Amino acid sequence: MNWYGRSLAGGCLAAIAGLALLSAPAQAQTYPTRNITMIVPFAAGGPTDVIARIVTGHMAQTLGQTIIIENVVGAGGTTATTRAARAANDGYTLITGHMGTHAASVPLYPKLAYHPEKDFEPVGLLAGTPILILARKDLPPKDLKEFIAYVKANETKVNAAHAGVGSVSNVSCELLNSVLGVKPIGVPFNGTGPAMNALVAGQVDYMCDQIVNAVPQINGGTIKAYAVATAERNPSLPDVPTTTEAGLPAFQAQAWNAIFAPKGTPPDVVAKLNAAVIKALDDEAVRKRLLELGSVIPASADRTPAALGTLVKNEIAKWTPVLKPVN
Amino acid sequence: MGDIFSNLSLGFGVVFQFVQWTPAFLGGTSIPIPVNILLCLIGALVGTLVGVLPGIGTIATVAMLLPITFGLPPVGALIMLAGIYYGAQYGGSTTSILVNIPGEAGSVVTALDGFQMAKQGRAGPALAIAAIGSFFAGCVATVLIAILGAPLTKLALAFGPAEYFSLMVLGLIFAVVLAKGSVLKAIAMIVLGLLLSMVGSDIETGASRMAFNIPELADGLGFATLAMGLFGFAEIIRNLDAGGESDRQLVQQKVSGLMPTARDLRDSAPAVGRGTVLGSILGILPGGGAVIASFAAYTLEKKISKTPQKFGRGAIQGVAAPESANNAAAQTSFIPLLTLGIPPNAVMALMVGAMTIHGIVPGPQVMQKQPDLVWGMIASMWVGNLMLLVINLPLVGIWVRLLRVPYRLMFPSIVIFCSIGIYSVNNAPTDVIIAGVFGLVGYWLIKHDFEPAPLLLGMVLGPLMEENLRRALLISRGDWSVFLTRPLSAVLMAIAAGLLVLTVLPTLRKKRDEVFVESEN
Amino acid sequence: MNATPGQAPVKSIMPKWVRNPQDFVGGIAMMGIAVFALWASSDLQGMRGFSFGAGTAPRMFATLLLGLGAAITAVGVLTEGQHLAKYHWRGPLFVTLSIVSFALTIRSMGMIFSALTSFLIAACGSPETRWMETVIVGVCLTAFCALLFPYALGLPLQLLPTFMIR
Repeated sequence: MNWYGRSLAGGCLAAIAGLALLSAPAQAQTYPTRNITMIVPFAAGGPTDVIARIVTGHMAQTLGQTIIIENVVGAGGTTATTRAARAANDGYTLITGHMGTHAASVPLYPKLAYHPEKDFEPVGLLAGTPILILARKDLPPKDLKEFIAYVKANETKVNAAHAGVGSVSNVSCELLNSVLGVKPIGVPFNGTGPAMNALVAGQVDYMCDQIVNAVPQINGGTIKAYAVATAERNPSLPDVPTTTEAGLPAFQAQAWNAIFAPKGTPPDVVAKLNAAVIKALDDEAVRKRLLELGSVIPASADRTPAALGTLVKNEIAKWTPVLKPVN
Repeated sequence: MGDIFSNLSLGFGVVFQFVQWTPAFLGGTSIPIPVNILLCLIGALVGTLVGVLPGIGTIATVAMLLPITFGLPPVGALIMLAGIYYGAQYGGSTTSILVNIPGEAGSVVTALDGFQMAKQGRAGPALAIAAIGSFFAGCVATVLIAILGAPLTKLALAFGPAEYFSLMVLGLIFAVVLAKGSVLKAIAMIVLGLLLSMVGSDIETGASRMAFNIPELADGLGFATLAMGLFGFAEIIRNLDAGGESDRQLVQQKVSGLMPTARDLRDSAPAVGRGTVLGSILGILPGGGAVIASFAAYTLEKKISKTPQKFGRGAIQGVAAPESANNAAAQTSFIPLLTLGIPPNAVMALMVGAMTIHGIVPGPQVMQKQPDLVWGMIASMWVGNLMLLVINLPLVGIWVRLLRVPYRLMFPSIVIFCSIGIYSVNNAPTDVIIAGVFGLVGYWLIKHDFEPAPLLLGMVLGPLMEENLRRALLISRGDWSVFLTRPLSAVLMAIAAGLLVLTVLPTLRKKRDEVFVESEN
Repeated sequence: MNATPGQAPVKSIMPKWVRNPQDFVGGIAMMGIAVFALWASSDLQGMRGFSFGAGTAPRMFATLLLGLGAAITAVGVLTEGQHLAKYHWRGPLFVTLSIVSFALTIRSMGMIFSALTSFLIAACGSPETRWMETVIVGVCLTAFCALLFPYALGLPLQLLPTFMIR
């Protein structure tokens, strides 16, 4: 044997010993008896991934098992969601879905290989992320009322940026435009970063985006925010009015993240997972980190699986008339 | 100037922070531990080791290792990530040089001459000059960020869609210059690459293009997947041919000298300098400037060289220039993140993710609000580059010895590493099959004397070019003149046109270097 | 017509007027790919007013490739050039089989099985393979990967077949 084989031979024995330990047969104990895989349909480090990691980190302590995050990117998260829909419904494969994968995808992709309601058991809502109406810093209107008038008057001149078809910024901007009754030119970018860059540089006029990325830019004065599309003002931006206060109550949008299990997952497993989610959301450290992200933590009544099921139903009904199929 | 020194000293203070460690077994004696230096070292080491695995490019390495930094304090996590990033990049170059498998666009160019050098038994000097060039570029870029970071930001904001489109056109011309054989075939390969890059969903409408309802194609063909197939698998299949085997044995017999000779250093010094300058400038542009840094540097070297025919056949400048440019660009691409708070590329987006998970959301004020973080990171870049030099120069010997593994054992190992690598990037078995298919395509291309490098570059530039063209036209409402009326764009277009004339004229006159003549007879 | 040294000249199946078969066939293949791409993108929308449709750029590049393919074919007819290179079946076959086997088994059978099987299949691609050492290196490599990827790097890779875990 050459040195290559020799150098590996040492590790070889150790590996075999390690594997023997691993293959100890799983006992029929109460769930969970082994690692749980959490599919995150977006890249590591993205808003959904960050929320999923914060919450599952605490859930793993409650459940006494490691939760492995598996980031599967592609097609606005639908690739991963399809995979989760087809996974074994034993509670060992879960998915952190969001507004896009479990609501907006229904009207956007008529050929979707899954249905958010028919193929998933709702487990629990994790957090909501408010949507802001943002504009380049030198856009003439000073408040939302002026902005509405400006966009209506300059419908053919304004450019709205978004982070790609099916992204949160895209679908929420579609909602805003349909509420305003305008059809401006939408300039697509590859993700929130480049879209924000264009807005800061003044190459586009306005966009809708999640609060996470926008707060430091607003505070730094490189862009401005007209309103936040939630019922209440957000603690991280106390000076930005809600859409209701500013005169556009019809525009309400929040990007939410929630855990789902494949259809047919046993009710006791779902209940156990839901309890772990609720426990995590009540944890001081988890709450602090979610609030730092500008997230809205769901109230007790909104944390049950049934409440999540209703949310999904309502969201599908809300987005269907606004979004047109991409194909 | 005084500001810069105080800022840099703040940064180095953060990096050289000592934490008192009082282990119980020492009975109360505390040992000072330079935690951040250690994190940087570990990051660079792990990054190198993962980046060197064929099939795993820089972005994949950083994405893969990102979660291990989540448990650390923010500054430490970012310093470690920076180490991982440089390590991954250097590891990727190592794979390109040793086995001709580039993991990202930047290393495609390194593979051209680096692998030829390895074939000539000069893998050691190639690896060493890559490390030395990267270190030099890293030092210059670190100083540049510290001094000019804020004003350079304006450049990033001055580049709109029209400018990026023109820059990508320039990039395509660079890709033509890369070719060592027929220009016509090189252009055909670029266009094939552009065509392949169209697979996936359309940016503006989301419509699925040429994806044949295969879910894994919905977001297009991955660069790493294609590179693995066209370079990695195709190279293996070709080597298994009878002719390739003698080629391999040649590699194993001729290993000479691990370190570059004085002549090598003299030859590559100006290339390193020019590569650093080009890379530093291009790296600042968030929309894909760093992508073309390495081949801009290569093109420049080939064009001004007195012996352009040596390029693609083991010219040391062909390794030194792109590697320096690549590293300088990697460094200066932090500028938009540190001054604007906007991630300019996928790796930086991951960094932002790492920051948000620690509760820091970077913005335009990050320099004022978290000076220790920003300057700590800038200082750690320099330290990270130093680590790479410290880690990699001794490793050169080991890497070169790896080439002595009999090919009959080496090739199945590469197949396995590539397969696992491709699979683990997205946990998608289909990606592995796609790479296999492109392995066969690559084999066919080699047999027909088509070069895969221009194809890959076309593949990288395609989306950037199309998207920016469409954005520019949307914003200008269909007015094509924007590319010539905006000054920066016009300058880039003029350079592209000039370069095109310089490249095509000689072939039209049938006076192109002997390389072309060779392929014609 | 001079064949590449080291490779046996292949008996030409090309008609005499094709003086550069390598480019001739290469150019025709490029034209084939271009036609296929034109067909594959034919259902996509074209220009919409001043803005590009989904199909504009693909069709543009496909047309360009068609032209370039034609030019390369013409070069193949008009200039002297190289013969078609000889293809071998063994390497491509087993390397491809190995890759396909890995892709098909990784999710159901786990990494240990897939990696080892693929390693052995790939090894069949070379006539020089010595089985004893190949098996030993294969086992060691698999063990190394089994430790490296899931443990050292923390990747969500399944090691054992699904039926053994459940």
